[in-house]
Amino acid sequence: MKTISKRALILYAIILLFLAGCGLLFYNLVTNSSDWAMNRVNKHLYSSGSLATAGDVKDANGIVLATTQNGARAYNQSKNIRLSTLHTVGDNAGFIASGIQTSFKDELTGYTLVDGVYNLKRYGKGNDITLTINSNVCATAYKALGERKGTVAVMNYKTGELVCIVSTPTYDIMNKPDDILTDTTGKYDGIYMNRFFSGLYTPGSTFKVITAACAIENIPDIYTRTFECEGKIQIGEGYVICSGTHGEINFEKAMNKSCNCAFATIADELGSEKLTATAERLGFNTKNLIVSDKIKCAKSKLNLTESAPLDIGWAGIGQYTTLINPCQMLTMISAIANNGTAVSPYLVSEIKNPEGEVTFFEKTETLGEFFSPSVAQSLDNLLRSNVKNQYGDSYFKGMDMCGKTGTAEISDDEDAKPNALFVGYSNNEDMPFAIIVVVENTTSAIKSAVPIASAVMREVKTEYTN
Amino acid sequence: MQTVKARNVNPYIMLFIITLFQLICFLSLVTRVDEQYRSDILMTFGGYLMIEYAYFIGARLVLGRRGFEVELIAFLLTSIGLSITASVYPDGIVKQFIAVLVGIGGFVVLQWVLRDVKFCNSMRIPVAVLALGLLVFTLVFARATNGAKNWIYIGGISIQPSELVKVAFIFVGAASLEKLQSNKSLTKFVVFAFGCVGALFLMYDFGTALIFFFTFIVIAFMRSGDIRTIVLLCTIALMGGLLVLMFRPYVANRFEAYGHVWEYFDTSGYQQTRTMIYSASGGLFGVGLGNGKLRDIFAATEDLVFGVVCEEFGMIMAGAILLSYIALLVYSIRHSKYARSSFYAICACAASSLMLFQAALNVFGVNDILPLTGVTLPFISRGGSSIISCWMLLAFIKAVDRSTYRFGGVRQ
Repeated sequence: MKTISKRALILYAIILLFLAGCGLLFYNLVTNSSDWAMNRVNKHLYSSGSLATAGDVKDANGIVLATTQNGARAYNQSKNIRLSTLHTVGDNAGFIASGIQTSFKDELTGYTLVDGVYNLKRYGKGNDITLTINSNVCATAYKALGERKGTVAVMNYKTGELVCIVSTPTYDIMNKPDDILTDTTGKYDGIYMNRFFSGLYTPGSTFKVITAACAIENIPDIYTRTFECEGKIQIGEGYVICSGTHGEINFEKAMNKSCNCAFATIADELGSEKLTATAERLGFNTKNLIVSDKIKCAKSKLNLTESAPLDIGWAGIGQYTTLINPCQMLTMISAIANNGTAVSPYLVSEIKNPEGEVTFFEKTETLGEFFSPSVAQSLDNLLRSNVKNQYGDSYFKGMDMCGKTGTAEISDDEDAKPNALFVGYSNNEDMPFAIIVVVENTTSAIKSAVPIASAVMREVKTEYTN
Repeated sequence: MQTVKARNVNPYIMLFIITLFQLICFLSLVTRVDEQYRSDILMTFGGYLMIEYAYFIGARLVLGRRGFEVELIAFLLTSIGLSITASVYPDGIVKQFIAVLVGIGGFVVLQWVLRDVKFCNSMRIPVAVLALGLLVFTLVFARATNGAKNWIYIGGISIQPSELVKVAFIFVGAASLEKLQSNKSLTKFVVFAFGCVGALFLMYDFGTALIFFFTFIVIAFMRSGDIRTIVLLCTIALMGGLLVLMFRPYVANRFEAYGHVWEYFDTSGYQQTRTMIYSASGGLFGVGLGNGKLRDIFAATEDLVFGVVCEEFGMIMAGAILLSYIALLVYSIRHSKYARSSFYAICACAASSLMLFQAALNVFGVNDILPLTGVTLPFISRGGSSIISCWMLLAFIKAVDRSTYRFGGVRQ
């Protein structure tokens, strides 16, 4: 029997192969379990392609934005709230990738690797998620934006809570238009994208905040300099065009008037290295913000390698190839308001399991020092001066508002309408909120973005102070 | 007398645990099933438990046996299969139970036959002729079912002859041991094996053809010990396979989804992706018998039954099932050292390798680790021929243990 039993030993090799296969099988199962289980054909969770059974999504005041009723998803009664929170809450078929109903599917359905979908079977629903957003502020922001495309977001710059996120175009989830796919007018362009998280915009003059920060850090006598503005300035072979003819102005006035001549000059003096260093410290080129551990934002871009002085001049006033992500920009402006320290923006404040126990709550996390306290103070003074001396405090009654507008040219076409931006914050102790407004293809920022910021900040004041 | 030195698992404790598991399954079935099937289920599982205990009591008291590892595994796996069948197809449970009874009967009878090696040797030519004849008969008269032409219908009963030929194949392959080391004695078996594999190929039953070829390689190696011959045979088979693919490209189309089933989500990757989706839904402990959704997919209780186990019984139970096939092979390898005849050693190793290989094709096939070939999961998949074949193969494994034939001895 010796011969046979020796030969039989080779069968251990077959066992090893089998074990390797089992290892691969369970490795695949464990690493992909959530993706697989969340597939839209999974009848435990979906009925005809739509999320059927899942927990509630509520706003900061406990107002239900999405819930499950009789095996189907139901949404808030108010049409304006549905329209304004669509991109935040998400749809139930996964078109809106950053929406809570897609990015937090595991939590909403209560799926875990250990229990599978068992909790859903047991309780008939998954976990409830409470968001940081205030649906009334969202509805106001949506009404202010109206038919225009763009995004509005408000964040508590001390804690990182995102109290308002609106992205347009939007649609009513309870009455989805059926011409989204067939439309050729462009009115639905990017309708499934949350522009706040995933958008990238030419910043226009809002980028001057960053150029100014770099100047304060690197040019000691920046406040005593004067700049000459004749409506345009020659750099190399070409010209940077200004919005007006400002004559001889100092740094603060240049900021108030948003003088392109002055800032192009400053940008060229700083050079590509210093500008890039400041921008990258703020996350440009280097970091995708991740909101609430799941939602990945687009990355802002500033590329000045081998750029000619003229291009650097244009980049310093937020044109050229520079792009900002609204969420990243809001985080940056919040850091100025918060003495230079940036906090991580978040959207999910609390998750409760079906038995009502809180299984997760978000804490404020800092992203580190974006600016030294003194630089932050200097920028704060400049931004306050902008509102006070240029845009007018009447837009923001009862607030010490700071901010910067931007009107970004997005095409060489003479008839093309610019994008209008506003970033800013209220300096009041009881109202620690920063705001970003982006309106696409519109008029100047002061005519379009500032009134929206005004309406939203007034609603924030009503909701959060008394 | 030499025996395998291993810590014996107390069979009574094992039996107790398995009975407990079976009772839980049966109770959950009885409480949930439609009123009209309740008596069928009570009868089936009552009967199954009685047979199980009768077997153990009989083997212990009458035959004086002490080791029951092999049967315990088979009884456990069979009851999982019966539970799933009863839960998905309560109207077909009695039929399946009858097949289990026939299988267990075959197991007992074949054990008794195997005690006489001389008789087995003398039977090899008739059995080989019978097996080949059965396959040829199938080839001529079979109706095509789901792409493979491997079923015959006799008096209202459908039979898959290739399942029964598995038993004959090992029987023939392991017998005729006069010249263990010679290649000459192998020649006849090679002809027989290629006849079987060829017939299965012509039936488009590639999965079973592969199982036969694999078993053939195991037996040929155990008999000859000659790696070169094995490599040669594998090369010939591989070239033959490639020729088939060249001249019959539609054969390759059947495996087009392999490796990227998610791209063939609603076509040829349908069964695999659904299996993975619902396997992941079960978690470690499953959603419970009867609560699954994979059961609604075509062939859930046959090809996809491993997914049903993952979904309803959980990943831990699924892992335990995989380990139990390994256990049968390890048992065979270890006992072959002390077997009374190389006939037993080859039989046991071939039978347990066959089951392990078939389990691999089934489990890895639905999880896209191997191409999907549509073979059954031993003891668990629904299907009469399959369960009978599995229980009879088990007799080969049981026979390798010296203590099996303690009374009456082996007639050499």
